[in-house]
Amino acid sequence: MMSLPFLIFACALGAAWLRQRGVAIGLWVAGVVVMLVLFRIHVTEVLSISL
Amino acid sequence: MPAELSRLLNALGLIAIVTALSIAFVDQLWFRDLPCPLCILQRAGFTAAGVGIALNLIFGPRPSHYGMTILGASVGASISIRQILLHIVPGTGSYGNAIFGLHLYTWALIGFGLTIVWSAILLFDDRQFETPEPWSKRLDVLPLTALVTFFLLALGNAVSTLLICGFGLLGQCPDNPAHYLLLE
Repeated sequence: MMSLPFLIFACALGAAWLRQRGVAIGLWVAGVVVMLVLFRIHVTEVLSISL
Repeated sequence: MPAELSRLLNALGLIAIVTALSIAFVDQLWFRDLPCPLCILQRAGFTAAGVGIALNLIFGPRPSHYGMTILGASVGASISIRQILLHIVPGTGSYGNAIFGLHLYTWALIGFGLTIVWSAILLFDDRQFETPEPWSKRLDVLPLTALVTFFLLALGNAVSTLLICGFGLLGQCPDNPAHYLLLE
């Protein structure tokens, strides 16, 4: 789900607001990992050029 | 750098990220320019960078928070570069509307670059780290507004992305979305 990074980052903000710094940073790391996985999936989309 | 100045600069940084995310939303909602998967991931990059700044505002400035901002912006910049390369050859077209002659993915790369440079400059002054101060105990209007707006934009992007891409598994988001998948 492409919306997962945003949800995870929103949860990280919520954890930070509740003074759970470790949880917030952990969620942030999870969000970045999900972003990288999604990027890996979409980075190989075919270039629309003819060589 | 005094703690007050550091807080002000962090609040302004978060407002800049909020502005970037808001412009993308206006382009999507007002001009009906739906974001592609790479565009969505660039928004996520701005959100990742903004979380580091938000932690600076809530817990006080720490080098690790600036590191989060730099890493988040670096991932976002990588995605922007990839999308620019997709359209760099003349005649290969572009994606979305141009603003002042540049497409959003080009503006995004500029924004990520500025975020990295801004964070690096703020990291130069060690005095802000000497007296850790939990600012959230006395957040004034500017940082609080930036934090709340940023949180709402993260949630808004989650909902918007869900509407565009649906509940599908990873990688099922349309490459060139023409409509909201869940509103069909």
